[in-house]
Amino acid sequence: MKPARILILFSLACGMAGLLACGTIYFLINKKHTWIPEKLVELARQPDLLENPTAKRCGECHEAIFKAWEKSRHARAWISETYIKDSENRSKEKCLPCHIPRAVKAGSKPEPRLTQRDEGVFCIPCHMADGKMNGPYALYSPPHPTRQNDAYRKAVFCGSCHEKTYKEWQAAGHESTCQKCHMPRAEGRLVQNPVLKYFHAPKEVADHGFPHGAVGAGEIGLSVDIKPDRVRVVLLNDTVPHHVPTADNGDPRLYLTVEQFDTAGEKLDRVREILAPQQETALMYKKEVAFTYPVERGARRVSVRLEYKPAWSTEKTEVHNKSFTVDF
Amino acid sequence: MKTACRVLSAVVLMILAFIPNVAGAKDFVVKPPPASLDKFYPPQSKEPKWVQQMHKLSGSFGGVFVNMREGDWENAEKLAGQFVEAYKETSEMVPEWEEYFDLDAAKNFAETVKTRDGEKIGKAAGPVGKTCGKCHGDHEVSVWAKYHWPSFHEVKVIDPMDDKEVGFDKYMGSLSGAFKGVTVNFKEGQNDRAHKAARTFKTKYTELKSTCSKCHTTGDVQRFYVGEPVMAALSGLVDELGKDKPDPGTVWKNVGIVGKEGCKHCHLVHRPASFIKERWEEK
Ligand code: HEC
Ligand code: HEC
Ligand code: HEC
Ligand code: HEC
Ligand code: HEC
Ligand code: HEC
Ligand code: HEC
Ligand code: HEC
Repeated sequence: MKPARILILFSLACGMAGLLACGTIYFLINKKHTWIPEKLVELARQPDLLENPTAKRCGECHEAIFKAWEKSRHARAWISETYIKDSENRSKEKCLPCHIPRAVKAGSKPEPRLTQRDEGVFCIPCHMADGKMNGPYALYSPPHPTRQNDAYRKAVFCGSCHEKTYKEWQAAGHESTCQKCHMPRAEGRLVQNPVLKYFHAPKEVADHGFPHGAVGAGEIGLSVDIKPDRVRVVLLNDTVPHHVPTADNGDPRLYLTVEQFDTAGEKLDRVREILAPQQETALMYKKEVAFTYPVERGARRVSVRLEYKPAWSTEKTEVHNKSFTVDF
Repeated sequence: MKTACRVLSAVVLMILAFIPNVAGAKDFVVKPPPASLDKFYPPQSKEPKWVQQMHKLSGSFGGVFVNMREGDWENAEKLAGQFVEAYKETSEMVPEWEEYFDLDAAKNFAETVKTRDGEKIGKAAGPVGKTCGKCHGDHEVSVWAKYHWPSFHEVKVIDPMDDKEVGFDKYMGSLSGAFKGVTVNFKEGQNDRAHKAARTFKTKYTELKSTCSKCHTTGDVQRFYVGEPVMAALSGLVDELGKDKPDPGTVWKNVGIVGKEGCKHCHLVHRPASFIKERWEEK
């Protein structure tokens, strides 16, 4: 045989062996991780991951999840300006458990923690228990131990802190969990680490941005009925299985403004209704709320506006803005 | 419900008890407590140390008598000793208040306990007890006002009608104006205007509900002043004024409920302290 051929064959063999090795590792990790010898498992561990590292450290592998979380309100639970103001410069002890939790146990209010407060509600309190990363999957992760825990896909997990919203959700009797709407899952990878990612099968990844979307016209039904003597405005939370808005301590609001104008565009009347959990006026699931106002003499146009303001901002966004001609 | 009512009436009674003093002929001056007391209250101190010191005093002082009644003289003497120590310690905490303490009387009291003679001990306790009472009479209310009552002047309200942030007192002024808009127009037979004013008034009044959580950590308190009876009266008021011929009886009944169970009762509980603070701030 010519040396060149030997070299080619040798490389091929090496390639095959490499592929076989990678395939075996892939197979072991994803299908039969219990076959991996204990010594080898220990060798791959990165012990610092169990010593309360920052979210950023988790993000070295779970990059996509980290980036989503970073933009979430959970990441701002301690540094939020509205929170700082309402907790009297963070001095109120009562506020600590949910804004800087130590460890979340599904169904009970957490204890507050003493360190890394700026990270608010971050990876460790939500995932670490008994020296393992708890999560929805039965899987094998070389860098840290994991444990499957069904609570992660249940609403009660969120209810540990979202106490009021959880109660409202229970009363609504809807089949979707909080995660279904606020952590929608999509096919992807749990890790983006350039080496690790090829050894782990794709899975569904939940959106850690905890989106709740701006309240839109789709969430809240608005119907207006105008008779010669009265305007009737009906609001209906037809789709969201908790109050809208909903809050434990924050003060999110919906503002309903109804105005009447004459032919010249002069304002004849203006009413405001506030729909807010703090005022016990938030819209309950599937329960119509009606407001009736008399039509002013000379009124030609009625405008009905519904706006939403989240707890953490003073900016309002428009949900509905409708205008009607009064023509009888 | 019952306990809350009891607490409420206790608070009202306590506050009412002091009002005649403030206005009466026997001068009762509510001066701001000395600044050196700040060290013993949050935020300067993590714990309310002054109150803890008071518990130490009353625990040892009162404990002497408990043990005495049980015939446990050993412990009675021990506590008397502890009391003298705590009393001395307290006298050194606020230099401006040193005069209130009578260290000799305290020492004499502890010595008398050793005689194990109930009558003598009672007599020796008198002068000590008086020093407690004198200071409490002079300063307890002002200490409550300064350290236990958050300031309403720092509570801001976003006016639901125009979204402007205003101070609590200013908001009260405009709330009161809206209320008058209802009653004055109705008296004049201007029912449409009264109805409009009532709607605005209801929205503005309901906004007060969002302020409770700035000081109270339980939603329980919302049963008062902004609770069901007052909210029902507000709705009743708006509904009645919206009718072609509102019934004056119903209108005034609802006005009465809001005015008494809403404004008045809330003022009785919350305003005295606010009033004291305001005067202090004027200086
Ligand atoms: C508020 C609690 C909370 C926080 C904070 C949080 N997670 Fe999660 N995480 C969950 C829940 C709940 C699930 C399960 C979601 C599902 O599958 O429906 C989950 C799932 C996961 C999974 C499994 C894959 C998946 O998406 O289902 C990984 C990996 C993970 N989280 C990593 C992290 C990392 C890294 C951070 C910090 C950057 C973090 N999590 C922050 C609650 C949290
Ligand atoms: C060195 C890389 C690396 C780091 C750093 C890392 N992880 Fe992981 N993690 C993994 C791998 C690999 C998996 C398994 C992925 C798979 O099977 O798809 C995993 C899986 C998980 C799961 C899923 C558990 C389950 O059973 O559903 C959670 C939760 C998790 N990690 C949380 C964390 C947290 C929190 C941190 C930071 C303290 C962290 N990880 C840091 C590599 C890492
Ligand atoms: C450890 C307590 C805790 C747990 C557990 C928790 N949250 Fe939160 N959540 C918070 C806090 C605190 C905030 C408010 C942060 C801020 O804005 O200051 C928040 C905010 C949110 C928001 C944003 C609300 C807004 O006004 O924009 C959503 C959505 C949300 N959480 C969903 C969830 C879901 C879904 C779960 C369960 C998977 C969950 N949370 C679990 C404490 C928690
Ligand atoms: C069917 C989908 C759905 C489910 C299930 C659901 N939500 Fe929501 N949630 C929404 C929508 C849509 C909004 C936006 C409307 C709003 O802001 O109230 C929202 C808003 C929120 C907000 C923002 C607060 C606000 O009103 O500004 C929080 C916090 C929240 N949800 C928590 C939860 C929790 C906790 C659960 C489970 C107990 C849950 N949600 C279940 C759809 C859902
Ligand atoms: C039982 C858990 C819990 C406790 C205790 C708690 N919060 Fe929250 N807080 C939440 C949750 C969940 C949210 C997100 C939903 C909402 O808006 O209520 C939140 C949101 C907020 C918000 C709106 C978001 C923002 O950053 O502006 C503020 C302000 C706030 N909390 C202040 C406080 C204050 C002040 C205290 C103490 C008096 C407190 N919280 C105690 C769970 C809690
Ligand atoms: C120099 C002034 C002064 C003297 C002397 C004094 N006290 Fe007080 N005491 C106060 C003040 C001020 C308060 C109100 C503290 C507060 O509510 O924060 C108070 C409150 C108390 C309280 C109520 C504590 C609570 O939890 O509300 C008790 C009990 C008490 N004192 C016992 C005593 C006894 C017993 C003595 C005498 C042996 C005594 N005090 C002497 C100033 C004094
Ligand atoms: C600026 C702070 C502040 C605000 C705002 C406030 N309160 Fe109070 N309130 C107090 C203080 C201080 C007390 C005395 C007892 C205590 O500390 O709870 C008190 C006492 C009470 C009491 C007597 C029973 C009790 O719990 O002590 C009730 C009832 C009450 N408030 C209701 C309300 C209601 C309803 C609101 C909102 C409409 C409200 N308060 C707003 C500071 C406030
Ligand atoms: C939450 C309890 C509460 C309720 C309910 C309430 N008030 Fe007040 N009000 C106060 C307090 C506290 C002050 C003192 C404010 C200050 O000193 O900053 C005050 C002050 C006032 C003032 C004096 C304002 C000024 O410029 O100093 C008026 C007028 C007033 N209130 C009218 C009303 C009327 C009318 C109602 C009912 C329609 C009402 N209030 C309901 C707590 C309340």
